[in-house]
Amino acid sequence: MTKQEFLTQLQNGLSGLPQSGVDERVSFYGEMIDDRVEEGMSEEEAVAGIGAVDDVISQTVAEMTPAKPIEPSVIPRRTLPLWQLILIILGFPLWFSLLAAAAAVILSLYVVIWALIISLWAFELSAAVGVFACAACVVILWASGKLLPGLAMLGAALFLAGLSILLFFACVGISKETVILTKKAVLSLGRRFIRRENSK
Amino acid sequence: MDIQLKRGFLEICVLAAIKNEDSYGYRIIKDLKPYIELSESTLYTILKRLESGGLLTVRTAEHDGRLRKYYHITEAGLRRIEDFKAEWKELISIYQFVIKEDHHD
Repeated sequence: MTKQEFLTQLQNGLSGLPQSGVDERVSFYGEMIDDRVEEGMSEEEAVAGIGAVDDVISQTVAEMTPAKPIEPSVIPRRTLPLWQLILIILGFPLWFSLLAAAAAVILSLYVVIWALIISLWAFELSAAVGVFACAACVVILWASGKLLPGLAMLGAALFLAGLSILLFFACVGISKETVILTKKAVLSLGRRFIRRENSK
Repeated sequence: MDIQLKRGFLEICVLAAIKNEDSYGYRIIKDLKPYIELSESTLYTILKRLESGGLLTVRTAEHDGRLRKYYHITEAGLRRIEDFKAEWKELISIYQFVIKEDHHD
């Protein structure tokens, strides 16, 4: 490995840490390699003498990251006292029904959101159908010699066409957003449960 | 050597390596090599700690067309070495106590 490769890997490995500290370390190691080369080592040997870049990175990261506060793993595992356990069992009819009601409310709100989206799509569909209906009317009216009513119908068809195009983009956008938000909500909920499993 | 024990010794060793004249990173490692193993990253941490503790100062000087950092011991650094010498007597007596325990077995 060349000096430049070593220093670049070091810099990349330390990205995210305070820049001034990283620069100082990179120049420190650069100086170390230069001094070895000056003593007669080849560049490869000088870099090898420093040690594996991964080791240097992990050691530096450990030194530059402030020590973590004591994590729950050290805290004794919480076991519920007996009276709390009894209270939970006795209170089951109360807390379970409340929990179920809360879940039902959230679910119904979610259904309402989708109902609104579906009605918007229906509006969009009716506008699109209206375009063709108006266009058909234009043909019929003009064929029977009614020029002005036909013109009015043409105007209506154009208006509906514009409306349906705008509505289409709005519908697609809102539907996509809702799907993405749903995914995020489900994932974060899932992650919370998985984390609890792991911490057990 | 035990890491905790070694850490305390390394600071003194680095100070001793720059006691008589200013020195630079690689030379400190070379000078200490016969006595105590010292990696670059450990040296960096020790130099930083000694600098922030006011036991040494750093200056950058040009050498052979590039920059090199030289470390200079301060009064406080010299005092730290003297303190260590005083503590050493205590350490020797502890060592002798440990040896004596060994002989009993």
